[in-house]
Amino acid sequence: MTAPRVTPGAEVPPLERTIDLRAMVAYAGATWDWHRLHYDPDYLAPRGLPAPVVDGQVFGALLAEQVQDWLGPRAFVRRLHFRFKNLVFAGETVRCVGRVTAVEGGVVQVEQRVLIIDGELPERVAVEPAGAEIVLGGEAS
Amino acid sequence: MSLLSDELRAMIGTEVTYTAPEELGRAAIRYFAKAVGDDNPLYTDDAYAREHGLPGVVAPPTLICETNQYADVPPDADGYAGHDWHIDIPGSRKVRGGNAYTFHRHVRPDDVITATWRLEGATERRTSGGQDMLVVSSVATYTNQAGDLLCTNEETIIYVARKEDR
Repeated sequence: MTAPRVTPGAEVPPLERTIDLRAMVAYAGATWDWHRLHYDPDYLAPRGLPAPVVDGQVFGALLAEQVQDWLGPRAFVRRLHFRFKNLVFAGETVRCVGRVTAVEGGVVQVEQRVLIIDGELPERVAVEPAGAEIVLGGEAS
Repeated sequence: MSLLSDELRAMIGTEVTYTAPEELGRAAIRYFAKAVGDDNPLYTDDAYAREHGLPGVVAPPTLICETNQYADVPPDADGYAGHDWHIDIPGSRKVRGGNAYTFHRHVRPDDVITATWRLEGATERRTSGGQDMLVVSSVATYTNQAGDLLCTNEETIIYVARKEDR
Protein backbone atom coordinates (compact mmCIF):
# COMPACT_ATOMS: atom_id res chain seq x y z
CA MET A 1 0.00 0.00 0.00
CA THR A 2 1.39 3.39 -0.92
CA ALA A 3 1.15 6.22 1.59
CA PRO A 4 -1.76 8.55 0.90
CA ARG A 5 -0.99 11.99 -0.52
CA VAL A 6 -2.13 14.22 2.31
CA THR A 7 -1.90 17.78 1.05
CA PRO A 8 -4.50 20.54 0.82
CA GLY A 9 -6.84 19.84 -2.06
CA ALA A 10 -6.13 16.10 -2.09
CA GLU A 11 -9.19 13.94 -2.62
CA VAL A 12 -10.17 11.42 0.04
CA PRO A 13 -10.98 8.14 -1.73
CA PRO A 14 -14.79 7.89 -1.88
CA LEU A 15 -16.61 5.31 0.20
CA GLU A 16 -19.79 3.81 -1.26
CA ARG A 17 -22.31 1.65 0.53
CA THR A 18 -25.77 0.35 -0.20
CA ILE A 19 -27.87 0.46 2.95
CA ASP A 20 -30.52 -2.21 2.68
CA LEU A 21 -33.13 -3.09 5.28
CA ARG A 22 -30.97 -5.89 6.63
CA ALA A 23 -28.11 -3.46 7.30
CA MET A 24 -30.57 -1.03 8.89
CA VAL A 25 -31.96 -3.67 11.22
CA ALA A 26 -28.41 -4.68 12.13
CA TYR A 27 -27.54 -1.06 12.90
CA ALA A 28 -30.69 -0.60 14.96
CA GLY A 29 -29.76 -3.67 16.98
CA ALA A 30 -26.11 -2.70 17.36
CA THR A 31 -27.04 0.74 18.70
CA TRP A 32 -30.02 -0.31 20.84
CA ASP A 33 -32.17 2.02 18.75
CA TRP A 34 -35.50 0.37 17.97
CA HIS A 35 -37.24 3.45 16.55
CA ARG A 36 -39.99 2.24 14.22
CA LEU A 37 -39.01 4.84 11.60
CA HIS A 38 -36.20 2.50 10.61
CA TYR A 39 -38.23 -0.66 9.83
CA ASP A 40 -41.99 -0.58 10.54
CA PRO A 41 -44.39 -0.11 7.56
CA ASP A 42 -47.30 0.61 9.95
CA TYR A 43 -45.36 3.57 11.30
CA LEU A 44 -44.27 4.85 7.88
CA ALA A 45 -47.52 4.72 5.89
CA PRO A 46 -49.58 7.28 7.88
CA ARG A 47 -46.60 9.64 7.78
CA GLY A 48 -46.33 9.50 4.00
CA LEU A 49 -42.88 7.92 4.05
CA PRO A 50 -42.27 5.62 1.07
CA ALA A 51 -39.81 3.29 2.78
CA PRO A 52 -37.93 2.81 6.07
CA VAL A 53 -35.66 5.76 6.82
CA VAL A 54 -31.95 5.14 7.33
CA ASP A 55 -30.73 6.25 10.75
CA GLY A 56 -28.74 9.40 9.91
CA GLN A 57 -26.07 8.55 12.44
CA VAL A 58 -24.93 5.75 10.11
CA PHE A 59 -23.41 8.47 7.95
CA GLY A 60 -21.28 9.61 10.88
CA ALA A 61 -19.90 6.09 11.07
CA LEU A 62 -19.25 6.03 7.32
CA LEU A 63 -17.51 9.42 7.35
CA ALA A 64 -15.23 8.20 10.15
CA GLU A 65 -14.57 4.95 8.28
CA GLN A 66 -13.74 6.86 5.09
CA VAL A 67 -10.94 8.90 6.69
CA GLN A 68 -9.68 6.07 8.93
CA ASP A 69 -9.36 3.72 5.94
CA TRP A 70 -7.48 6.37 4.02
CA LEU A 71 -5.08 7.54 6.70
CA GLY A 72 -4.42 4.15 8.25
CA PRO A 73 -4.70 2.45 11.62
CA ARG A 74 -2.48 4.89 13.52
CA ALA A 75 -4.58 7.91 12.59
CA PHE A 76 -6.95 9.16 15.29
CA VAL A 77 -10.18 10.87 14.32
CA ARG A 78 -10.38 13.73 16.84
CA ARG A 79 -13.39 15.62 15.53
CA LEU A 80 -16.28 14.77 13.26
CA HIS A 81 -19.26 16.89 12.38
CA PHE A 82 -22.19 16.49 9.98
CA ARG A 83 -25.52 18.11 9.13
CA PHE A 84 -28.44 16.29 7.57
CA LYS A 85 -29.92 17.58 4.31
CA ASN A 86 -32.21 14.84 2.99
CA LEU A 87 -33.59 11.54 4.22
CA VAL A 88 -32.12 8.34 2.85
CA PHE A 89 -34.40 5.35 2.36
CA ALA A 90 -33.85 1.62 2.65
CA GLY A 91 -32.01 0.18 -0.33
CA GLU A 92 -30.39 3.42 -1.44
CA THR A 93 -26.67 3.73 -2.10
CA VAL A 94 -24.63 6.54 -0.60
CA ARG A 95 -21.20 7.82 -1.54
CA CYS A 96 -19.02 9.68 0.97
CA VAL A 97 -16.72 12.16 -0.76
CA GLY A 98 -14.12 14.45 0.73
CA ARG A 99 -11.01 16.52 0.28
CA VAL A 100 -8.24 17.85 2.46
CA THR A 101 -8.58 21.51 3.40
CA ALA A 102 -5.53 21.91 5.67
CA VAL A 103 -2.56 20.00 7.06
CA GLU A 104 -0.59 21.41 9.96
CA GLY A 105 1.57 19.82 12.64
CA GLY A 106 0.39 16.30 11.81
CA VAL A 107 -3.27 17.30 12.00
CA VAL A 108 -5.39 16.94 8.87
CA GLN A 109 -8.64 18.79 8.23
CA VAL A 110 -11.02 17.18 5.77
CA GLU A 111 -14.29 18.45 4.34
CA GLN A 112 -16.81 15.77 3.44
CA ARG A 113 -20.29 15.19 2.01
CA VAL A 114 -22.61 12.23 1.67
CA LEU A 115 -24.43 11.88 -1.64
CA ILE A 116 -27.28 9.55 -2.54
CA ILE A 117 -26.51 7.92 -5.87
CA ASP A 118 -29.33 6.02 -7.41
CA GLY A 119 -28.75 4.89 -10.94
CA GLU A 120 -30.62 7.11 -13.33
CA LEU A 121 -31.89 9.62 -10.75
CA PRO A 122 -29.87 12.78 -10.15
CA GLU A 123 -27.69 12.76 -7.05
CA ARG A 124 -29.26 14.04 -3.85
CA VAL A 125 -27.29 15.35 -0.91
CA ALA A 126 -27.80 13.38 2.31
CA VAL A 127 -25.25 15.14 4.48
CA GLU A 128 -23.63 18.56 4.04
CA PRO A 129 -21.58 20.18 5.41
CA ALA A 130 -19.51 17.56 7.16
CA GLY A 131 -15.89 17.14 8.03
CA ALA A 132 -13.25 15.61 10.22
CA GLU A 133 -10.05 16.49 12.02
CA ILE A 134 -7.55 13.66 12.16
CA VAL A 135 -4.34 13.37 14.17
CA LEU A 136 -1.95 11.34 12.02
CA GLY A 137 0.26 10.14 14.89
CA GLY A 138 -2.57 8.74 17.01
CA GLU A 139 -4.54 9.77 20.07
CA ALA A 140 -1.55 10.44 22.33
CA SER A 141 0.35 12.65 19.89
CA MET B 1 -47.25 31.50 17.51
CA SER B 2 -43.95 31.02 19.28
CA LEU B 3 -42.55 27.49 19.24
CA LEU B 4 -40.50 28.25 22.33
CA SER B 5 -42.76 27.69 25.32
CA ASP B 6 -42.06 28.91 28.84
CA GLU B 7 -41.96 25.27 29.86
CA LEU B 8 -39.16 24.52 27.42
CA ARG B 9 -37.35 27.74 28.30
CA ALA B 10 -37.33 26.62 31.93
CA MET B 11 -35.73 23.31 30.95
CA ILE B 12 -32.63 24.91 29.44
CA GLY B 13 -29.60 23.95 31.49
CA THR B 14 -31.16 20.67 32.64
CA GLU B 15 -28.78 17.74 32.92
CA VAL B 16 -29.44 14.03 33.08
CA THR B 17 -26.86 11.31 33.64
CA TYR B 18 -26.96 7.66 32.60
CA THR B 19 -24.41 5.02 33.52
CA ALA B 20 -24.22 1.74 31.64
CA PRO B 21 -24.89 -1.35 33.74
CA GLU B 22 -21.89 -3.13 32.22
CA GLU B 23 -18.70 -2.66 30.21
CA LEU B 24 -19.16 -1.73 26.56
CA GLY B 25 -17.81 -5.15 25.58
CA ARG B 26 -16.05 -6.69 22.62
CA ALA B 27 -19.24 -8.16 21.18
CA ALA B 28 -20.94 -4.74 21.08
CA ILE B 29 -17.93 -3.34 19.22
CA ARG B 30 -17.82 -6.19 16.71
CA TYR B 31 -21.59 -6.01 16.19
CA PHE B 32 -21.49 -2.27 15.47
CA ALA B 33 -18.58 -2.60 13.01
CA LYS B 34 -20.35 -5.46 11.25
CA ALA B 35 -23.66 -3.57 11.09
CA VAL B 36 -21.98 -0.54 9.52
CA GLY B 37 -19.97 -2.73 7.15
CA ASP B 38 -16.63 -1.51 8.51
CA ASP B 39 -14.11 -4.37 8.32
CA ASN B 40 -11.18 -2.51 9.92
CA PRO B 41 -9.32 -5.08 12.08
CA LEU B 42 -8.69 -2.39 14.73
CA TYR B 43 -12.16 -3.28 15.98
CA THR B 44 -11.84 -7.07 16.04
CA ASP B 45 -8.18 -8.16 16.08
CA ASP B 46 -6.17 -7.52 19.26
CA ALA B 47 -2.85 -8.43 17.66
CA TYR B 48 -3.44 -6.02 14.78
CA ALA B 49 -4.47 -3.23 17.16
CA ARG B 50 -1.35 -3.80 19.28
CA GLU B 51 0.86 -3.64 16.17
CA HIS B 52 -0.52 -0.17 15.64
CA GLY B 53 0.11 1.22 19.08
CA LEU B 54 -3.14 0.39 20.86
CA PRO B 55 -3.58 -1.82 23.93
CA GLY B 56 -6.07 -4.03 22.07
CA VAL B 57 -9.23 -3.68 20.01
CA VAL B 58 -11.04 -0.34 20.20
CA ALA B 59 -14.51 0.81 19.26
CA PRO B 60 -15.28 2.58 15.97
CA PRO B 61 -15.27 6.27 16.98
CA THR B 62 -18.97 7.03 16.63
CA LEU B 63 -20.27 3.94 18.46
CA ILE B 64 -20.21 5.61 21.86
CA CYS B 65 -22.34 8.49 20.53
CA GLU B 66 -24.84 6.21 18.83
CA THR B 67 -25.49 3.41 21.23
CA ASN B 68 -28.33 3.52 23.72
CA GLN B 69 -26.64 0.75 25.71
CA TYR B 70 -25.93 3.12 28.59
CA ALA B 71 -29.45 4.52 28.80
CA ASP B 72 -31.39 1.46 29.96
CA VAL B 73 -34.76 3.22 29.55
CA PRO B 74 -37.98 1.55 28.33
CA PRO B 75 -38.94 2.11 24.68
CA ASP B 76 -41.40 4.95 23.99
CA ALA B 77 -44.42 4.72 21.65
CA ASP B 78 -42.10 5.10 18.64
CA GLY B 79 -39.94 2.23 19.87
CA TYR B 80 -37.09 4.55 20.85
CA ALA B 81 -35.17 3.50 23.96
CA GLY B 82 -32.52 6.17 24.33
CA HIS B 83 -32.06 9.55 25.93
CA ASP B 84 -34.83 12.01 25.05
CA TRP B 85 -35.91 15.32 26.55
CA HIS B 86 -39.56 14.52 25.74
CA ILE B 87 -40.10 17.96 24.29
CA ASP B 88 -43.58 18.16 22.82
CA ILE B 89 -44.20 21.09 20.49
CA PRO B 90 -47.74 20.96 19.10
CA GLY B 91 -48.02 21.72 15.38
CA SER B 92 -44.42 20.87 14.63
CA ARG B 93 -42.46 17.96 13.28
CA LYS B 94 -39.13 16.92 14.68
CA VAL B 95 -36.11 16.50 12.41
CA ARG B 96 -32.45 15.84 13.12
CA GLY B 97 -30.12 18.76 12.44
CA GLY B 98 -26.71 17.26 12.91
CA ASN B 99 -23.95 16.34 15.31
CA ALA B 100 -20.44 17.47 16.17
CA TYR B 101 -18.29 14.96 17.98
CA THR B 102 -14.98 15.52 19.75
CA PHE B 103 -13.11 12.34 20.59
CA HIS B 104 -10.56 12.45 23.40
CA ARG B 105 -9.31 8.90 23.18
CA HIS B 106 -10.25 5.55 21.68
CA VAL B 107 -13.04 3.79 23.55
CA ARG B 108 -12.10 0.30 24.71
CA PRO B 109 -14.17 -2.81 25.48
CA ASP B 110 -13.63 -2.46 29.24
CA ASP B 111 -14.93 1.12 29.42
CA VAL B 112 -18.15 1.48 31.42
CA ILE B 113 -19.84 4.46 29.84
CA THR B 114 -21.48 7.31 31.67
CA ALA B 115 -23.31 9.80 29.47
CA THR B 116 -24.36 13.19 30.80
CA TRP B 117 -26.81 15.07 28.60
CA ARG B 118 -27.29 18.81 29.02
CA LEU B 119 -30.03 20.81 27.31
CA GLU B 120 -27.89 23.64 26.04
CA GLY B 121 -30.32 26.00 24.35
CA ALA B 122 -33.33 26.58 22.11
CA THR B 123 -33.37 29.25 19.41
CA GLU B 124 -36.24 30.33 17.19
CA ARG B 125 -35.34 30.67 13.52
CA ARG B 126 -37.02 30.54 10.13
CA THR B 127 -36.36 28.00 7.39
CA SER B 128 -35.35 29.12 3.90
CA GLY B 129 -38.93 28.24 2.92
CA GLY B 130 -40.31 30.68 5.50
CA GLN B 131 -41.42 28.11 8.08
CA ASP B 132 -40.91 28.88 11.76
CA MET B 133 -38.56 26.49 13.44
CA LEU B 134 -37.01 25.90 16.81
CA VAL B 135 -33.42 24.73 17.00
CA VAL B 136 -32.73 22.76 20.17
CA SER B 137 -29.12 22.01 21.04
CA SER B 138 -27.85 19.47 23.55
CA VAL B 139 -24.42 18.31 24.59
CA ALA B 140 -23.61 14.81 25.75
CA THR B 141 -20.37 14.21 27.63
CA TYR B 142 -19.14 10.62 27.83
CA THR B 143 -16.79 9.41 30.56
CA ASN B 144 -15.75 6.01 31.86
CA GLN B 145 -15.58 4.41 35.31
CA ALA B 146 -12.18 6.04 35.99
CA GLY B 147 -13.57 9.47 35.13
CA ASP B 148 -11.65 9.62 31.83
CA LEU B 149 -13.25 12.00 29.35
CA LEU B 150 -13.95 9.95 26.22
CA CYS B 151 -16.02 12.15 23.96
CA THR B 152 -18.45 15.04 23.65
CA ASN B 153 -21.39 15.13 21.27
CA GLU B 154 -23.16 18.35 20.33
CA GLU B 155 -26.53 17.46 18.89
CA THR B 156 -29.04 19.66 17.11
CA ILE B 157 -32.72 18.76 16.83
CA ILE B 158 -35.06 20.98 14.84
CA TYR B 159 -38.81 21.39 15.33
CA VAL B 160 -40.34 22.76 12.13
CA ALA B 161 -43.84 24.29 12.22
CA ARG B 162 -46.27 22.37 10.02
CA LYS B 163 -47.62 24.32 7.04
CA GLU B 164 -51.25 23.41 7.68
CA ASP B 165 -51.07 24.88 11.16
CA ARG B 166 -50.11 28.33 10.00
